Amino acid sequence: MSSGYSRTPAAGIKWAGFCRHFSSRAAVNDVIGNDLANTDSSLAFMEGKERLDPFSIVADELSLIATRLRSMVAAEVPNLASAAEYFFKIGAEGKRFRPTVLLLMATALNVRIPELPPAGVGDNLPTDLRTRQQRIAEITEMIHVASLLHDDVLDDADTRRGVGSLNAVMGNKLAVLAGDFLLSRACLTLASLKNTEVVTLIATVVENLVTGETMQLTTASTKRFSMEYYMQKTYNKTASLMSNSCKSVAILAGHSAEVAKLAFEYGKNLGLAFQLIDDVLDFTGTSASLGKGSLSDIRHGIITAPILFAMEEFPQLRAVVDKGFDNPANVDIALEYLGKSRGIERTKELAMKHANQAAAAIDSLPQSDDEDVMKSRLALVDLTQRAGRVGSGELGKRFEPIQKLSGQGKKPTRIIGACGDDGEAVRWNDHQIGHKLAKFAAAAGIFDGTLRLRLAQVDVDLRCRGAWAKVTDRR
Amino acid sequence: MHFRLKKHILERLDPFSIVADELSLIATRLRSMVAAEVPNLASAAEYFFKIGAEGKRFRPTVLLLMATALNVHIPELPPAGVGDTLSSDLRTRQQRIAEITEMIHVASLLHDDVLDDADTRRGVGSLNAVMGNKLAVLAGDFLLSRACLTLASLKNTEVVTLIATVVENLVTGETMQLTTASTQRFSMEHYMQKTYSKTASLMSNSCKSVAILAGHTAGDAKLAFEYGKNLGLAFQLIDDVLDFTGTSASLGKGSLTDIRHGIITAPILFAMEEFLQLRAVDKGFDNPANLDTALEYLGKSRGIERTKELAMKHANQAAAAIDSLPQSDDEDVIKSRLALVDLTQRVITRSK
Repeated sequence: MSSGYSRTPAAGIKWAGFCRHFSSRAAVNDVIGNDLANTDSSLAFMEGKERLDPFSIVADELSLIATRLRSMVAAEVPNLASAAEYFFKIGAEGKRFRPTVLLLMATALNVRIPELPPAGVGDNLPTDLRTRQQRIAEITEMIHVASLLHDDVLDDADTRRGVGSLNAVMGNKLAVLAGDFLLSRACLTLASLKNTEVVTLIATVVENLVTGETMQLTTASTKRFSMEYYMQKTYNKTASLMSNSCKSVAILAGHSAEVAKLAFEYGKNLGLAFQLIDDVLDFTGTSASLGKGSLSDIRHGIITAPILFAMEEFPQLRAVVDKGFDNPANVDIALEYLGKSRGIERTKELAMKHANQAAAAIDSLPQSDDEDVMKSRLALVDLTQRAGRVGSGELGKRFEPIQKLSGQGKKPTRIIGACGDDGEAVRWNDHQIGHKLAKFAAAAGIFDGTLRLRLAQVDVDLRCRGAWAKVTDRR
Repeated sequence: MHFRLKKHILERLDPFSIVADELSLIATRLRSMVAAEVPNLASAAEYFFKIGAEGKRFRPTVLLLMATALNVHIPELPPAGVGDTLSSDLRTRQQRIAEITEMIHVASLLHDDVLDDADTRRGVGSLNAVMGNKLAVLAGDFLLSRACLTLASLKNTEVVTLIATVVENLVTGETMQLTTASTQRFSMEHYMQKTYSKTASLMSNSCKSVAILAGHTAGDAKLAFEYGKNLGLAFQLIDDVLDFTGTSASLGKGSLTDIRHGIITAPILFAMEEFLQLRAVDKGFDNPANLDTALEYLGKSRGIERTKELAMKHANQAAAAIDSLPQSDDEDVIKSRLALVDLTQRVITRSK
């Protein structure tokens, strides 16, 4: 491979790493249809223009998993609100990040294991194995959504601030119960896999999620300013789920400890890269300039990597942070320091570093000539580039701007919650139930269309499309 | 024969004291097991183990007694020398079931308190009142994850399935309680199903797990299950009665917590069968006048008595399960079985 990938050297190296698996350019060409002689098109490939869409490779399986998740929830979701009924419609799912990674990993690891029985008997095994690996994807989604719901539980002070404390209390019940329900289902599905090592890994994930969230609640100032503490918290809250579920996929397939570790490293670094870019986007939004993002982290007093880096350059920023960010003027001051610092750049660099480590893990997998295996590995590497970079790529925060729908001649409505495909609420006001439902629906990605609900004497519309949901208060 | 001879000894024998040493070992291990690196989590999880429940740890006591009670010689065990090590490993594993059971139980209590918006638990401020709802929920999840880790370490997938079923049942039970459709509110069957899910499932499946870890037959494992199930049901039914009667035998001296929260329990359900008009009062129990009306009907009915009779029936079924175990001449086995039977009576006759 030439060294002419000067625009994105890191991407070029990853590409070159892959190419060594192929016997010739022509062979690569056959697989992915790219003309390698054309440097530009390769770069275009690596910058995410979809010649190879990781999500589409596994689209069928994703939709199978979504159907299974939906049928499970539809049968059991409790009728908590006083006269609400839930109608679940089948529709486009949108991009489901975690299951996509896991399914691609399952294929990417599909190196023939010598001890598999001969073809006749062996044919039965892989199907079971694939189903079991799909279960890991289901379990992962259930745990992810459960943790979002539990993270959302409000304390009494918060419930009193809401419009009508009854709503907030109901919101808490919904959050706790729905989360518990999902956790219990995850436990049962886990048990059905009959693999105690996997049970251990997934149990560790739950523990890490809780620990991470609790770390975030901790306000001891020394820890708040520590990058190391922050990265540990980030691992717990975001990367652990990815790392341990990737490893579980490997373990179910009976891979060696080394291969399992590579899967783990991929998931871990991918998760870290993803979160670091998330931190950046919270400041920059989809534009490159500061302050166009939603700034929800800093407004909640959550100190993320860019600010931590900025504090290293400008110690006086600590005093600003200590004052808290209830006062918008303080936010502006912090943003000013951030702009002067290399905080954003350094975070992006760190994200890229982790993205490359993830890609390197894939590169280190035992060689395979199988076309599906190669395709999946390419897709996994592609995901690292999407995750590790701020771009217009699909892994960035993707949501429509919140509009205030005031109708002339129409019934006025108020948007009361919305969130993107990562399950994070972009904005909400004081209707906490709407907020929770929006998160739940979007993160689970199980709706499409409009649900009309009555919750605690309030009519709400839950309008969902693809991977995000918007809750409107009908008055 | 042995049974009757030893019974008089049992009258002076406290089931809890038979296993007291092991209980305190388990308590110590539990405390270290829920130690967390994050201070808030650690104090939250510890919170519950500190609260006065130190004395009688009901569930672990049952499980430890069951472990001994089942200690029928299993033919395929290797000769004594090796067997001794195996036995102690087995006992440790069975103790783990007791630890797992406690962690899951406490986790469910922490979450229930948030769901109920409870201020107190066992006379002390509830965790959610003291440290916040969110921390209580997180602490519950933390305990659950620790329970799962311990479960995985047992490397027995049947037991993993049983305990996972318990977790699901707990959630189902709580869901049933919160979301009962009106047709089901007055159904005794629905109520018993809910009670099984919320209370008895933990006991039944953990007893069965103890049997399974020891490699017992399916028949014996089922007996262990039946004991746990019926004991749990009896326990809850008497709990329902005590909520009305308190420590006195007359109505209205109890805390009346259930009915004030609109939770319809067995005595009221029975009373509703006799006095259909009582159903009309439902959902208005936060109004003290309605509450008095309900208590009046309850007093006129045989609700309390019938609940006690049902509890006795289940207690006897539990005792019968123990009696049906394969005979043994081992003194410890006999003692433990007597203690288990004794527990079924204590559950019925307790006043708090």
